[in-house]
Amino acid sequence: MTAHDRRRWVYWMAGIAGAALASSWWMRWWGIVAWVCGALAWLALGCRGRPPAPREDDSPAADDIDDDDCPADGDAGDVESLVDGMLRQDRYALLLRRQVVGNLSVDQFSQARETLEDRMALVPEGQVTLARPDSERIDDRDTAEEQRFVQPLFLDRYPVTNAQYHQFVKAGGYQQMPLWDPQIWPAVLDFVDASGCPGPRFWKNGKFARGEAEHPVVGLSWYEAAAYARWVGKRLPSEAEWVKAASWPVPLSEEQQWQRKFPWGDTMDRQRCNLWGSGPGRTVAVTEYALGVSVGGVYQLIGNVWEWTSGTFGVVTADGEELSLPMPMKSIRGGAFDTYFENQATCQFESGENPLARRHNIGFRCALGLCDVAAHPGVSEEPPPAAQPCSAGVDGAQLPAAVTEPEGALV
Amino acid sequence: MIKEGVQPLDSLRLVANYAAQAPCYICGDDNTYDAELCRQCFAPMALTHQAASQKIRPRLLATIGASGVGKTVYLGMLMDMLSRQPDRLQMLARGAFSITLQQSTASALARGEFPSKTPSEPDRWNWVHCQIRSPSLKIPLDLVMPDLAGEALLEEVDHPHTYDVIHPLLSKCAGVLILIDAVKLQAGSLDQDYFTMKLLSYLAEIDERPKHGWARRPIGFVLTKADECEECFVDPARFAEVRAPGFWRQCRERFRNYQFFASGVAGGCAYRQTRAGLVRVPLRVEPRGIVEPFEWLVQQVKS
Repeated sequence: MTAHDRRRWVYWMAGIAGAALASSWWMRWWGIVAWVCGALAWLALGCRGRPPAPREDDSPAADDIDDDDCPADGDAGDVESLVDGMLRQDRYALLLRRQVVGNLSVDQFSQARETLEDRMALVPEGQVTLARPDSERIDDRDTAEEQRFVQPLFLDRYPVTNAQYHQFVKAGGYQQMPLWDPQIWPAVLDFVDASGCPGPRFWKNGKFARGEAEHPVVGLSWYEAAAYARWVGKRLPSEAEWVKAASWPVPLSEEQQWQRKFPWGDTMDRQRCNLWGSGPGRTVAVTEYALGVSVGGVYQLIGNVWEWTSGTFGVVTADGEELSLPMPMKSIRGGAFDTYFENQATCQFESGENPLARRHNIGFRCALGLCDVAAHPGVSEEPPPAAQPCSAGVDGAQLPAAVTEPEGALV
Repeated sequence: MIKEGVQPLDSLRLVANYAAQAPCYICGDDNTYDAELCRQCFAPMALTHQAASQKIRPRLLATIGASGVGKTVYLGMLMDMLSRQPDRLQMLARGAFSITLQQSTASALARGEFPSKTPSEPDRWNWVHCQIRSPSLKIPLDLVMPDLAGEALLEEVDHPHTYDVIHPLLSKCAGVLILIDAVKLQAGSLDQDYFTMKLLSYLAEIDERPKHGWARRPIGFVLTKADECEECFVDPARFAEVRAPGFWRQCRERFRNYQFFASGVAGGCAYRQTRAGLVRVPLRVEPRGIVEPFEWLVQQVKS
């Protein structure tokens, strides 16, 4: 019996016992009430005293994952070990929350902050132009484009990997209902892998394929991506945020700005991204294709996997036609390893997918508002980390002079 | 100084060319030397001229299926993929007319549309004559593949000899790919099942020879639009068995060399309101399972 089966069995027993207790109480059958209470106490003690499951049952399959790196929530006996555990689980964003940061030591705060700067890239505030679908056919720029203002944010440098997502699965993310949108609760039990365990669709026995620890996690719905993002204290990026990070607009005047068609410039270079015909025809590790990095230092915004965003897929095209969708769709961006046409793998191209779909080529990365990152009370105020210019693949473009810090962004 | 010799008059040469009839490569009917299409079946006479000038006998393959099943998209995408990424199979078009299909298909898909419906008139069909090269092929394989209209196929199956090109073409074909709409099968529609049964019955009766008839020729069943029902990709044969028991049983009883595949071109679809009503449009293009059926068929034909 796997850990998942055991957990499910315990839930069932607890549910049945609860129902029996309630009905007995209502019927005033005090003997049965006492018996059920005893059974529940025995069940609770039994679960608590149960030795940990054998590694081959509920540990990740992943070759590179050490169980010590994956402490379950609540296992930590003190704040220090809890913080260390959260850092190992890549939940540093939670530690930098205003409500939490005061409980950290200066060392712990510094460690969390360094991890943030290492794993996420800063995207400065500013305007971004979003092209509507079919805008290439439209001559009138006003109808074909839409201006949005983006607040400063951090965006994951890499898509979420199998190893990272495994931490979420192992920590019981699929059982922590507050992480999930309430309307999707009935479907959570259906988010299982090939062997019926909670997890992405293409995993088996709660484990990802050997050698794919650093590959982007795929085969998960929009809701699973959103739940993971909540678990690590982040969120999915909006469409405007995603496009801003990828196309890195440079204001030329008050009304005009220059945006890249691809993160590295205006011309497609298949050596810089994993698309159909330029890669191995499957996902690759998130650290590959370094030449395709964006100006801000974000990898694989184009190619490898489509990325869920928080936006709803636009149903109105630039020429005013309304696309009729078979179901409500969420916006995905960036193209994947099997995207065939170059014009469908640009910073502006948007596609849509059923939020419940668990496709082989859709993954995600997370975002974090700069205003959600607090400063430590014991640490002197520092300017936020500047976006790291990337020498590779910028096509000689100049970066904006400075990344301005919004007032009050850091507490 | 003029070299001595016999110089035929141009008018005589013209008459001679007209007197020498060129047989159509598909139906065998005699045509004049400068005919563009066969006067009987409307197949391009370029096939005949290329076969004569290059001294080759290209093998015939057909992609057949009901109307709207995706024959044009499949064939056009296959040609484009093989010409752009020749890792497994390399395709070289013979004649400019052979590129028209892939050009129109790829252009439409890149614009976010599906290509126009293939007209029923045979003189407006696209034909592909190509050479296939592969490490597994000792000598290149010349193939001719037409993009047939589904309505014409249905009409011919129901009323044989309505279209003069279909019967001789399928008689001479070395193998076929039969396309079946997986989305309609999944939705419970029996039309695909019935139409495929009709096609199988038609094929079986075209050539009933025990050794060289259709019973032994390779048939690839391709479940199209599988991107919208992913269980197809897991086990296409099982999917067909469950969803289309009629043709599944007929296939098992009448044919010996067949294989099931699943394919998809669009990663997702929506509908656009046009004057003609709702039109299905691809949201993105992510071909899956396109080359595999053709690769299998080429291997079977080669052997």
